Amino acid sequence: MSPDTLSPQPALHLHALRFAYATGGEAVRGVSLDIAPGSVHCLVGRSGCGKTSVLKLAAGLLVPQHGQVLCHGDPVIGPRADMGFVFQRPTLLEWLSVLDNVLLPISLQRPVRSSDRDMAAQLLTRMGLGAHVQHNPQALSGGQQSRVALARALMGEPKILCMDEPFAALDAITREELQHDLLVLCAQQGTSVLFVTHDMAEAVYLGDQVTVMHQGQMVHTLRIDLPRPRAHGVRHSAEFNAVCAQLRQCMDEGL
Amino acid sequence: MRHTRLLSVMLGLLCLGLWELAVQQLTTSALVLPAPTVIASSLWRGLGNGYLWPHVLQTLSEVGLGLLLGGTLGFAGGVALGESARLRGVLMPYVVLSQVVPKLALAPLFIVWFGFGTLPTVVMTALICFFPLLENTATCMQQVDAHRLELFRMLRATPWQTLWRLKIPAGLPHIMAGLRVAMVLAWVGAVVGEFIGGSKGLGALIIAAQGSMDTPLMFAVLVLITVLGLLSYSGVQALERRLSPASFSL
Repeated sequence: MSPDTLSPQPALHLHALRFAYATGGEAVRGVSLDIAPGSVHCLVGRSGCGKTSVLKLAAGLLVPQHGQVLCHGDPVIGPRADMGFVFQRPTLLEWLSVLDNVLLPISLQRPVRSSDRDMAAQLLTRMGLGAHVQHNPQALSGGQQSRVALARALMGEPKILCMDEPFAALDAITREELQHDLLVLCAQQGTSVLFVTHDMAEAVYLGDQVTVMHQGQMVHTLRIDLPRPRAHGVRHSAEFNAVCAQLRQCMDEGL
Repeated sequence: MRHTRLLSVMLGLLCLGLWELAVQQLTTSALVLPAPTVIASSLWRGLGNGYLWPHVLQTLSEVGLGLLLGGTLGFAGGVALGESARLRGVLMPYVVLSQVVPKLALAPLFIVWFGFGTLPTVVMTALICFFPLLENTATCMQQVDAHRLELFRMLRATPWQTLWRLKIPAGLPHIMAGLRVAMVLAWVGAVVGEFIGGSKGLGALIIAAQGSMDTPLMFAVLVLITVLGLLSYSGVQALERRLSPASFSL
C-alpha cells in the first residue's frame, strides 16, 4: 500500500504538539504529522531529541500541553484499544507462559475465548515461535522475546502500532528478520505504524516517510519511494544507499 | 551435597554425645544441665501421657491466630502504604514508632487491657508479625518496573488489575520472605507472651517447670518449640513453592 493513496482521513494526526516534563525543559516543540492508513512513519534522531516523547503523546501515554492527537478523527485522550505499543525492551511477565503473555491485552479486558488462544498461537507460529507457546519467556533468546512482544502488540489487531526502538538491543541479522516480519504482519492486518529508531538504515527499510527530529522539533521529512513489498535484497541496492546518504545529510543539517 | 548433609548430621550427633559424656563424667546435677537422654525421656513421657499436648495446642493456636491476624493486617497495610504515597507519608512514622517500642515491654499493659490468657498473647504475636509483612509488601509495591507499569497503562488495566496481576505477582518473592520472617517471630511472640501472662501453653510451661525446678522438662519444651518452629518454617517454604506468581493469572 502506498502512503500517498490520499485518504480523506489520516490514521493518525498529530497537530502542533508541545510537551514539557515537570522536571526539565520542553521535550516536544510543535510537532505535526499525518500517518496515512497502512503506512509506516519513522522518527529518527539522536538520543534526547524528543522522539520517544512524541511516540508516547501519540499513544496517549502522555498528554500534550498544547495541540492534539486524532486517531481516525477521534481525539486521543489516553491509551486506546485500537492502538498497540511495543517498548524498547520486550517487557514480558516471566510468571506467564509465552501464550499467556500474548493473550494479556485480551485477558485484561474480558475472559479469554478459545478463538483468542487460536489467534495467539497462530501469530506465534507465524513468527516461528510455534514450538515455544507453553514455554516460559525467560527460556527464549532476546530476538524471540522481541517477537513475543510484537505478537502481544498485534493481538488486539490494532489499527495503529507505536514502536519505541523495539529492535535496538538485537544483533544485526535478527534485527533484519524482525523488520521483515513486522512489514509482512502489518501489511496483512493493514496496520499503520509510528516507529522510533536511531538506526537510519532501519528507518529507510521500514518507512514510507522518515522524519528527522532535533531538539523537540521536526527538521526534515523524507518520502521513501522504494518499492513494496521490500525484500531483504533492497538493503544492498544503490537506491537504498542513496536514500540513507540523503537522510544522513538531513540529520547533519539539523544540527 | 549428600556428603555435606551426612557430615552435618554427624556433627550434631557428636555434640550430643559429648554433652552426654560430659554430664556423666562431671556428674553435673540434672538441675543445672540434664543429659540429652534425660531430656529425651522427659519429652517422651510428657508426650506419651498426654501432659504436653494441651500446651502444644494452646501455643500452636496462638501462633496461628497471631500470624493470621498480624500477617493479614501487615499485607493489607503494606498494599495500602505501597499504593499511596500520601498515606505512606502520614502513617509511616507511626508504624515505625510502633515497632521501635519494645513489644515485650507492652505485655504487662496488654494484661491490663485484655486480661490473662489467649487474647493478650495473640495480640502480641500479631503485633510482632505485622511489621515484616508490611515492610516487605510496601517496598515491593513501590519497586515495580516502570516499563511494566507503562505496559499495563497502555493495555488499559484498572488499578485493581495492576495490583493483582502485576504488582503482587512481581513482588511475591519479597512478600513470602516477609512471611518467613513473620513465621519465625510468631513463635517468639507467643512463647514470650505466655511467659508473662499465660497459664497454659509451652511458654507458661517453661515458667512452671522453672518454678518446680524441673530442668529436664524445660529443655524438653525447648526442643518441642524448636521442632515446631522448624516445621512451621518448612510449611511456609512449601506454601511458597506452591504459590507461584502464576497463581494470580486470572
